[in-house]
Amino acid sequence: MTASTDAAIVKLEDVHLSFGQTQVLKGIDLTINKGDAVSIIGPSGSGKSTILRCINALVTPQSGKITVAGTRVDQLTKESERIQLRKRVGIVFQQYNLFPHLTVLDNIVLAPIKILGADKTATVKLARELLEKVRLSEKADAYPGQLSGGQQQRVAIARALAMKPELVLFDEVTSALDPETVGEVLWVIRDLIRDGMTSILVTHEMRFAEEISDTVVFTENGRIVDHGSPQQIFHSTNNPRIRQFVGGLSGGGRGAVRDGEGI
Amino acid sequence: MQDMNLTGLFIDLMGRLGLNYEFLATGYEAQIWRDGFITTLYLVAVTIPVSLIVGLIFAACLTSGRLWLSAPVRGFVELTRNTPTLVQLMFSFLVLNTVVSNMVGGAQNNPLSPFFWVVAVVGLHVAALHAEAIRGGIEAVPSSMIEAARGMGFSQFEILRYVQIPLAFRSSLPAIVNGLISLVKSTTVGNAIAVSEITYASIMVWTQRDNVVEMMIVLLAFFSLINFVVARVGSWVERRLAIPGYGL
Ligand SMILES: Nc1ncnc2c1ncn2[C@@H]1O[C@H](COP(=O)(O)OP(=O)(O)OP(=O)(O)O)[C@@H](O)[C@H]1O
Ligand SMILES: [Mg+2]
Repeated sequence: MTASTDAAIVKLEDVHLSFGQTQVLKGIDLTINKGDAVSIIGPSGSGKSTILRCINALVTPQSGKITVAGTRVDQLTKESERIQLRKRVGIVFQQYNLFPHLTVLDNIVLAPIKILGADKTATVKLARELLEKVRLSEKADAYPGQLSGGQQQRVAIARALAMKPELVLFDEVTSALDPETVGEVLWVIRDLIRDGMTSILVTHEMRFAEEISDTVVFTENGRIVDHGSPQQIFHSTNNPRIRQFVGGLSGGGRGAVRDGEGI
Repeated sequence: MQDMNLTGLFIDLMGRLGLNYEFLATGYEAQIWRDGFITTLYLVAVTIPVSLIVGLIFAACLTSGRLWLSAPVRGFVELTRNTPTLVQLMFSFLVLNTVVSNMVGGAQNNPLSPFFWVVAVVGLHVAALHAEAIRGGIEAVPSSMIEAARGMGFSQFEILRYVQIPLAFRSSLPAIVNGLISLVKSTTVGNAIAVSEITYASIMVWTQRDNVVEMMIVLLAFFSLINFVVARVGSWVERRLAIPGYGL
């Protein structure tokens, strides 16, 4: 329990994980301090999503230590204990995954009320505040199917925040969006980070990562190849793979990157 | 008195059309017949919720990913889907019921009536049909949506309760309504074990009165009416639950 006394809110130590024969994480070490924003970048299949899933106990590694907000995640044996952890760690995915049969407001209040047992009136009030924050107050009674992708993703972020998480994980939350709507989602995340929310983002938005991150982590083939300040990773790295990756992405015509900066 | 006159008028009117409803003027046969309607309605009213609740439980077992839950239900579903309801009812009443009687020390102590066995057999048979439809709907919920719910701290049961069943119920509603329509018709198997539902009562009357056609007209109209109501309620529920902007 000493882990909770220092500033680290997430600590991974030599985490190894395989799916069957496939080694996906081959010794991940990562420390994230409270209030930090960390971006994880790297090629497809390098294990970025798997790192996030380890942090909120959606998958369990074969070996290594994972400490999240004072909890030794790798030592949790019961599903009920993992559920307790997940309630404290928000995660937002590429496919917004709103519940299609519930209104925007009900999507946000369902888990706090039914899963956390939070007070209904207070939760509805919180949900309306969060909707305001993501600039969707007027959509409270709409259904997900009536919203654009960007709007749905902002609701998904509000839904995660309604659980009052201690940190939030974002897994390529803009990758499924039209270029025009990427900006509005990044805007919401930027605000959140400015408010001091501990955030871990897997992203392909290099400009955005550079702008908002305290630390950038580059993964390749199940390992963290390098990590450092955005300046280091994006501009002064000697690692040719990172240069190629970063250059390839921001130079290549990903409209999303352009839109990411334009707000 | 008013009632008697109306009945008399009806019998007279039908008689002119060549239809023999004279039994209505008798006490005994008319009573059996009226009770037949009530028994059938009662059977339908009890068996529909039984089939829905058990169907939901079956579907939950089938999709639980736990063999000790899914395997017995899968076995039961296959058995009940592939064998005639009439045979199932005979077996239940002649074999299972006798076993129960022996266990409780004689038929006089057996609380299970023929009515119970019709509800159980027809209810579970249709529950098996519902279960297959709902299972399809549960499995159609994208795994990414389930992972998102897990990520928020939903347990497997809470995902079923708040996400999968609400979606699966909507997508399987047309199939469920079909199942309920066949349930209404299947309640007539009760006549094989002397449950005095409407077909049983009608047969009693027409063997005495030789008025098969007259009884048939009422019988067919009665079942058509019940199923008309079932279908209307079904489409009302479907409209109520329709999700704006969602292509289910
Ligand atoms: N449930 C699973 N079962 C088997 N293999 C898996 C599973 N999840 C991920 N993998 C494999 O693990 C590797 C890493 O996957 P992961 O999703 O973490 O990569 P990623 O860095 O997020 O990639 P992307 O940028 O494409 O999202 C991939 O090769 C993937 O095929
Ligand atoms: Mg990924």
